[in-house]
Amino acid sequence: MPHLTLLEQALISGILAGGLYGLLALGLSLSWGLLRLVNLGHFAMALLAAYLTWYLGTAFAIAPWWAGVAIVVAFFVYGVALHWVFMRFRVTEMGSMLITFGIAVIVESTIQTIWTADFRRYETALAGASFVVGALYVPMLNLAAFVVAALLAVLTWAWLRFATIGKALRACAEDAPIATAFGINHRALSFLLSGICAAYAGIAGVFIALIATLAPSEIWTWIGVVFAVVIIGRLGNPIGALAGGILIGVCEAMTMAVADPAWAPLVSFSLLIALLLFRPRWI
Amino acid sequence: MTRQRVLEIAGLAVAAAALVAFPALDVPAFYVSFLYMVFFWIAMATSWTILSGFAGYWSFGHAAFFGAGLYTSATLATKFGVPFLLTLPLAAGVAALLGSGIGFVVFRVQRLRGELFALLTISVTFVIAAIISNTAIDGGAGVNLMNVHLPEVFGSPTGTIYLLGLAMAALSLWAAWRIFRSRLGLGLLAIHDDEDVAEVKGVPTFRYKLAAFALSAGIAGAAGGVHAIYVGYVTVGETFEITVTMYPVVMSILGGARHWLGPALGATIVTGALYGFASGPEASLGRAGIALGLIVVVLLLPGGVMPGLIRLRHALRRAPDRVAPAPGLAAVPKQCPAQGATPVVALDCRGICKTFGGVQALKDVDLAVLEGEILGLVGPNGSGKSTLINVVTGHHRLDRGTIALAGARIDALPAHGIARLGIARTYQIPRPFNRLSVLDNVALAARFGPLARGRADAYAEAAHWLGYTGIARRADALPGQLNLHERKFLELARALAARPRILLLDEVLSGLNHTEIDAALDLIRDIRAGGTTIVFVEHLMRAVVALSDRVAVLNDGAVIAIGTPHETMREAEVVKVYLGKAHAS
Amino acid sequence: MLLEAQNLSVGYGGAPAITDISIAIDAGEIVAVIGPNGAGKSTLVNCIAGLLRPQAGRLRFAGGDLAAVAAHRICGQGIALVPEGRRLFAGMSVQENLEIGAYRRGARQMQLEGIERVYALFPMLRLRRQQMAGTLSGGQQQMVAIGRALMARPRLLLLDEPSLGLAPSVVEEVFEVVRAIHAQGIAILLVEQNVALALAIADRAYVLEEGRIVAAGVPAALLAQSRIREAYLGL
Repeated sequence: MPHLTLLEQALISGILAGGLYGLLALGLSLSWGLLRLVNLGHFAMALLAAYLTWYLGTAFAIAPWWAGVAIVVAFFVYGVALHWVFMRFRVTEMGSMLITFGIAVIVESTIQTIWTADFRRYETALAGASFVVGALYVPMLNLAAFVVAALLAVLTWAWLRFATIGKALRACAEDAPIATAFGINHRALSFLLSGICAAYAGIAGVFIALIATLAPSEIWTWIGVVFAVVIIGRLGNPIGALAGGILIGVCEAMTMAVADPAWAPLVSFSLLIALLLFRPRWI
Repeated sequence: MTRQRVLEIAGLAVAAAALVAFPALDVPAFYVSFLYMVFFWIAMATSWTILSGFAGYWSFGHAAFFGAGLYTSATLATKFGVPFLLTLPLAAGVAALLGSGIGFVVFRVQRLRGELFALLTISVTFVIAAIISNTAIDGGAGVNLMNVHLPEVFGSPTGTIYLLGLAMAALSLWAAWRIFRSRLGLGLLAIHDDEDVAEVKGVPTFRYKLAAFALSAGIAGAAGGVHAIYVGYVTVGETFEITVTMYPVVMSILGGARHWLGPALGATIVTGALYGFASGPEASLGRAGIALGLIVVVLLLPGGVMPGLIRLRHALRRAPDRVAPAPGLAAVPKQCPAQGATPVVALDCRGICKTFGGVQALKDVDLAVLEGEILGLVGPNGSGKSTLINVVTGHHRLDRGTIALAGARIDALPAHGIARLGIARTYQIPRPFNRLSVLDNVALAARFGPLARGRADAYAEAAHWLGYTGIARRADALPGQLNLHERKFLELARALAARPRILLLDEVLSGLNHTEIDAALDLIRDIRAGGTTIVFVEHLMRAVVALSDRVAVLNDGAVIAIGTPHETMREAEVVKVYLGKAHAS
Repeated sequence: MLLEAQNLSVGYGGAPAITDISIAIDAGEIVAVIGPNGAGKSTLVNCIAGLLRPQAGRLRFAGGDLAAVAAHRICGQGIALVPEGRRLFAGMSVQENLEIGAYRRGARQMQLEGIERVYALFPMLRLRRQQMAGTLSGGQQQMVAIGRALMARPRLLLLDEPSLGLAPSVVEEVFEVVRAIHAQGIAILLVEQNVALALAIADRAYVLEEGRIVAAGVPAALLAQSRIREAYLGL
């Protein structure tokens, strides 16, 4: 039986890691739930953002937040362009999955070609910073990621819940032709949402660069985590994505604490399979 | 046998002999290896197509079945000293078992389709990879097969591996071809288009999907077994690599995933292209190129290369591929409706109830349909007419009550079982299988109907009914090219081709014009004269009065009146609910 | 004329659903369109609402050409739809459904006032304002659908099969509301399978069969035709 402090520490790491999962799942959950497009390339784009953050920081000494601003703008444009392609060719849900799968492979190859398959680590002044609560240790950057994730989730939730445009987006997701008949410009709103989803991937990427070790093959191990989070949290529900992220983060951290860390990736995939089989109503 | 056919067979035989003898020709090893890879991907892509291309269940996890077979062979050959060739059927068996196990759970417990099925297969791949990597099967270090003995053909193990690959590809192609032309293949393509309708037309969808899954996984497993000895040293990382999942998808879509030869064509093209970038950083670029190809094909050529090639072949041949079938089939057996004699109950519904989420669609309905009659079923929208048809055909389960066909209970049977007993229906809004030709749509009903026609008979039968309903000249069209009127008659032909004892018509007349309606009325009378009992739902009063022997009026889920048309339509309650209050006074 | 369709043809894919239709509705009129299932009634309504585009012919509203207006701007011209089967935003609350009704620019400023008017018309909706629209009964859903359309402050209200699937007593209630809306001076195009009911309320009616208009006139004149009595009333 591991020491109690070890479990408490695992709980904290799990919650904080869950924040990052939630941040990653946010954009995917919105585009799947509200646009009915399954974006297998979402994590690949986040990883690309992470590499860009790391590269801009190490090669040009650009601070992560400035890199983040540039990435958010560029990714927004990418999101709009991607959705334009989907609309132009009337891509189905299944088609969107194939295309974004292709995008994920292209991103992986691009990263591998430019930055090789070696592991990369972004060493910043904040990297080791942490504070101690009792016997427990809370890393600063992970906490920052968690706070940003929580903030974005709540803001997005409030936007969808209370803002006119947010309500219009939900109406489009339920019945686009009728929403159009009431004056909602479905096309324009879809572009906006797709751009926002991609921008969220960019923001998540900045934090991945600051927190994690980067390698191109990571793309595929993270897909399971992110999809499990999205489905647990209910498609199109920002708060759910955060809650799902925390749940999976804690499960993984607990597995690592009590069992061989090599089994940790199994947790999210097994959870995802179980969810698909005992499908709750909301999928 | 025509001269052309002889030439074709001779040509195929020469090509096969050349392929078999290729390694003996003293060519550089590179070419032998390249051809092996082509064979390998042909087997993998064909395997993917049997499940995903035909049945429409998209696997994003073929690496799981490939890996299961690969590690089965590797483990048996190295740790248990099983002769390598013997491990191959076992590899196929383990993978097939895995596939059918997953299929059993997925198709029975939850009807997962589309992107959720794809996600499930991705997840399974990672779980299996993690299990193999973390247990003694691999142990994280990989398995070395260098010392595994392999019988030598053409003087080297390479020749044997080449021949195993060739056999693998040939076997998978043969399997795909056989399936494509069989009932199984037709059923799978129908499942792809509309699973519910396929079931109602007599396709045992659960069994067929399971069979496709097992076959597909089995072929991938066998290919994995052969590949274990080809690579010589297997690791989890390389076995469950994302490309193993991606390439069969790309190849099949590029080639055409609804034809047995499509994936092989795609596999040859893609493998050829990949060998252009052999190694080093270009290999990664090659993958990006393939991914880009996938995107372009999905956007611009969703059907793949194969449909275009088939059209080209037809154009070159000029002559019609299929000789127009002679309408030599005996007309519908004449069997006079029992007039004067004691009426026999053909279909007996007793006390049937059906509730949908709190709304009671059918409340204790008793309805006896007499042998050989035409029973009109009328009532306002939402009165339960469609639900009645859906429970009789087995699409919905009853909450309570019984349904008997000629005295035998049918309410516990699956929909395809009921179809085989001779109950057929049409849909108010036609629901043809959109990617099957008009002729295939009708032939499917004949093949899966009560008579279970063979291939040739089914097409003759289909041609007969297309002629009967007057749409014979559209036989080769796709349903989407038909206008509403032709689609309605396609619905009818598809129901008739099953030669049903009881025919349920759901508003076949709506949307037709006056002359078309008159023609349709004659047609329905003619069908009855052939001995078929008919229940028809209709809003058009003129038709109801003209056709029906008896009329049953449904309101709010209950039968409120039944009798001859004129009596029934005059009853005060019927006038009130059906024609509006204004006319009741 | 408020709305004028001349030789209008609309189709799905290749097959035309309505052909060469000419109808007109004057301000403040109730015009009914009757006909069998599949005759093209909903197609006509959906085309006017902008859900389908005309393939041929002219469609003018208040003097402007509707065919030149983007689908999401049709509502802004003063046309609101109560679609067949109600098609509420089922996962949104009653109040949110009403707010979406007032999404168009001209109506958004008067949203609060509009909601009050809808609640005055259907007091029971006020009690259920926070309830998900999908959980309401059929009759209540129809009221939300009508309320949602009124929120857009239309000059022309398109009512597609408002009695569909409703109990007779509820149908009467709905038609009372239709009369009340008409009394406010809003023109109404009513598509209805309940022919007796439709002809009882309409100023004029068109009979649509197989995508074409086969008869038109005031209800009394239509009811005098034996063919129509036989086909639609079974008498």
